[in-house]
Amino acid sequence: MADRVRTHPGTRKPTLHLGHGKRHCVKVLERLSAYLDDELSGDVCREIRAHLGDCPNCEVFLDSLRQTDQLCRNRPSPALSKNDRASLRRQILKAAATT
Amino acid sequence: MALRKKSRPDLHDGHAVSRSTSTSFDQLYRDHVDVMYRFAYRLCGETEAAKDLVQETFLSAYRAYDRFRGDAQISTWLYAIASHACQRMRRKRKGEPERELSLTEFVPTSGGEFSLQVPMEGLSPQEALENKELRQILDRAIAKLPRKYRMVLVLRDMEGLSAKEVGGILGLNERAIKSRLHRARLFVRRELSGKGLAGEFHSDVTTGHR
Ligand SMILES: [Zn+2]
Repeated sequence: MADRVRTHPGTRKPTLHLGHGKRHCVKVLERLSAYLDDELSGDVCREIRAHLGDCPNCEVFLDSLRQTDQLCRNRPSPALSKNDRASLRRQILKAAATT
Repeated sequence: MALRKKSRPDLHDGHAVSRSTSTSFDQLYRDHVDVMYRFAYRLCGETEAAKDLVQETFLSAYRAYDRFRGDAQISTWLYAIASHACQRMRRKRKGEPERELSLTEFVPTSGGEFSLQVPMEGLSPQEALENKELRQILDRAIAKLPRKYRMVLVLRDMEGLSAKEVGGILGLNERAIKSRLHRARLFVRRELSGKGLAGEFHSDVTTGHR
């Protein structure tokens, strides 16, 4: 994902274990659900946050995964009508009685 | 009909003989049919198949009632029955063939694939979902998931169960559930990104036509 060429100013501290480059992005991608679900240790979270701060592509990707998750969670589902509820019940009772 | 086993829920249509209502079929049905229909609809993606699945679920629940030991929540037990029934029911569906999803297929390769290409800017998820076309695209993405991944996504993210509960329902450990969930989310995400939509979302919609 980090396909851009970066130049690092000399002041930058090399604190990232994950570092840069596509290989590291894939490692981050592997853990994004666990990251969103808050299942990772503090150390791993910090590493991921550091990578995200330095890699716009991964940051955008994480946002899109979070949005996807929110859409799934908020997708309303149609309710059964009263009539359908009653007729389904009759069908079930009938099937139960005949088998 | 014969009701030989006392532990079965009472099935006398509207005329409960033994009024131990805590175990009656009617109570089981009344308390859980709405949740089971919602679950079935999310799994099947359409009304008739969802009704079939609900029917199959409560029929199986009735027949298996003797074996329900009460050590699981009754809703979890019904989810498990419905999940198994869904796997049994070989209805024609438009989803992807059953296959393993690998992480590498979800690594974006070009610009428009990193972000979602659906209208969400400045909107809450609820507001965004008022857009019918977005709902359809989301539903289609979920329906396209290979079944074992769809099952986990629906149970975990849509029904809101814990990874442990989902593991109990599907007979898998939490690690496997989390792995499938991650792939399922990545799959749906990709379907809503530039890669999945590939020009499908038209500009009249992206400009806020709701
Ligand atoms: Zn990255």
